[in-house]
Amino acid sequence: MTVRDFLSIPAGNLWRMKLRTILTVAGIIIAIAAFVSMVSFGTGTQENVDRQFNELGLLTTMQVFPQHRPNEPEFFDSPKLDLAALNRFERIPGVLLVYPYDPFVVHVRLGDTTLESRAQSLTHTAMETKLYSRLRAGKIFEHDSSRSAIISGELLKDARIIDANSLIGKKLIVSIQVSTIDSALRHLIVDKGQTIINRIEHIDLDSLLNSDGYLQQTLRTEANEAVRRFLNGFLNARRTVSDTLTICGVVESERMGRLRMEPVIIPFKTGERFTTSGFSGNPADLFTAMSSGNLFQSSDDRSGKSFSQVTINFDPHVLYAPIKDSIEAQGFRTFSFAAEFEQIQRAFLYLDLALGAVGLLALLTASLGIVNTMAMSLLERKREIGILKSLGADESEIRLLFLAESGAIGLIGSSFGILSGWIITRIVTIIAHIYMRQQGIPEVELFSLPVWLILTALVAGTGVAVMAGLYPASRAARIDPVEALRND
Amino acid sequence: MTSESWLRAADLCRFYTRGPQTVHALAGVSLEVGRGEFLGIVGSSGSGKSTLLNLLAGLDTPTSGFVEFGARRLSGMSRKELSRYRAHQVGMVFQSFNLIAHYTALQNVETALVFNDVPPRNRRAVALEILGQLGLANRISHRPSDLSGGEQQRVAVARAIVKKPSILFADEPTGNLDYENSLQIAELLRQLNRGGLTIVMVTHNLEMAREYSHRIVRMQYGKIVGSEDGKSSGGTGS
Repeated sequence: MTVRDFLSIPAGNLWRMKLRTILTVAGIIIAIAAFVSMVSFGTGTQENVDRQFNELGLLTTMQVFPQHRPNEPEFFDSPKLDLAALNRFERIPGVLLVYPYDPFVVHVRLGDTTLESRAQSLTHTAMETKLYSRLRAGKIFEHDSSRSAIISGELLKDARIIDANSLIGKKLIVSIQVSTIDSALRHLIVDKGQTIINRIEHIDLDSLLNSDGYLQQTLRTEANEAVRRFLNGFLNARRTVSDTLTICGVVESERMGRLRMEPVIIPFKTGERFTTSGFSGNPADLFTAMSSGNLFQSSDDRSGKSFSQVTINFDPHVLYAPIKDSIEAQGFRTFSFAAEFEQIQRAFLYLDLALGAVGLLALLTASLGIVNTMAMSLLERKREIGILKSLGADESEIRLLFLAESGAIGLIGSSFGILSGWIITRIVTIIAHIYMRQQGIPEVELFSLPVWLILTALVAGTGVAVMAGLYPASRAARIDPVEALRND
Repeated sequence: MTSESWLRAADLCRFYTRGPQTVHALAGVSLEVGRGEFLGIVGSSGSGKSTLLNLLAGLDTPTSGFVEFGARRLSGMSRKELSRYRAHQVGMVFQSFNLIAHYTALQNVETALVFNDVPPRNRRAVALEILGQLGLANRISHRPSDLSGGEQQRVAVARAIVKKPSILFADEPTGNLDYENSLQIAELLRQLNRGGLTIVMVTHNLEMAREYSHRIVRMQYGKIVGSEDGKSSGGTGS
């Protein structure tokens, strides 16, 4: 028998039993379509995440945090995430760039629109990283002292502006309300016209020395008054720091886990005016400064300033683990996107396996149809098999003919199943894109049909079909020709 | 015919187990067939003649004894070799024609060449030639159900001889045919034998066997109970 015989004889048999073949193939089509569309969804989602990680350069990005967590008290002996720490990080082999994340609340005025928003200052070098360089319009600022600003798509959305290009060159007035320790200290000395001397004059020194009760009472009263005056000066005597900048670019908003990009980005040196002018209105900043021992630091002295987060970019040819270990050895916490990526990859592997298992389960169910079809065919063709044996067919040829027949069912079913799965994913994608457009969400490709998935579906569908044909083929091969040809 | 011993069966036994009973289909049959001989095997139903034919054709294996074709014993052959023996040396014709119902006459004849190492491109021409020789040129695209009994048996003969076998085994080839068609088929077999083809024909029709065979063996209860020369030999029986 030639290869052509092994193809043409089973093809003829399948063609002869059209309805049965179509129904059996339909089972495989449904199973493979389910398998392909489900795994295609898992693969598509994974590719989206992979692409995002690569486009944003996250695999070479690490974030560093102080040891204490936001909801835990900061211990005085925990290392500070200050400029000295940043300098140490820069010296770690493989580290290319270190920059702090130091956000602050701002009021921005864009034309007639005034918004409360958040800002951060960044160096020109940091702006050149993949994370920030995805501009929708314009370009990044030229140097760290540039009197320009970059706004993100998020601010655009808040200001209800559609055309990003129309903003390039426009003025952006940025202002912040700051409280200073100087103001607080001034109010400690003089508050509402009453000086600290006036307070002392009202204290009876004899009673203070002779009566413990009076001493206790006076100390408590004056301490309370001092705190009240300090906070009054801190919180209620705030001043406005303002600057007018030119919008030079509009960057895509990125939000991904711990990744944060503020709506307004100001050149690092230009932004110092805002970051070193005092405390924001948030009392938490005051307590942070108190606990870190920086409360009465001069506002011009940045050496004592500590940050809640620092971002590190490292050489892609260097493993992240040694850098991570080095930083953690200094007493800081780290968050590595590469480590998170590994976890995500593992999660996707499990997702793909789970989705694939559901598809394969459907395929196994469909394979029962093949067993049934082939078993029926065996019963109907018993005499035919006897004839073929009398003509010289050996057992292996009969077995192969049956396996080729079940394999053909699998191959045809898999091919049309892949096509059907692809059509399903296209339909879902079209519907999803319409929904995304309506919701203002950037359109992403939900499904992916890589070559390996096509081949896997083809091999799985054909393989399962061949396996399903093994038993009927084996029985067909063992048919006794004398028995099969006996006259009834 | 020649008297050279070519196909030989020695002390052939074939027992079947049917529930608690053992059926002795063949009980020690020895037989020799010469090259070019037309041998008729006659006997009543259940005499073991079809069983003998199946054993000689390599379709069945004996319980004991052996069949020798040329210098080789069939019992010493592997299954693959037995298949090749059937594919290359043996042609078979059955009482009930045993054509594949969904194939045309041409396809049925071509099928015999599938296992005979004939390249696919040559099969059609060879099959057409044989069908033409047997007067079936205008029936090649007909399915068995569209053919008369005689035509079906001629297609079966065409299928048996298209691969140019060394020996043709015919099991009651006229059993399902009317007198006219029986004569045609018997005549066809005689012509093939005259062309050099060795034929072993099983039949219950003693007259036909006498008319067309060189030699006749009679079987009863799984044994050969006698033999005689047929009219084609010109000799006398024993």
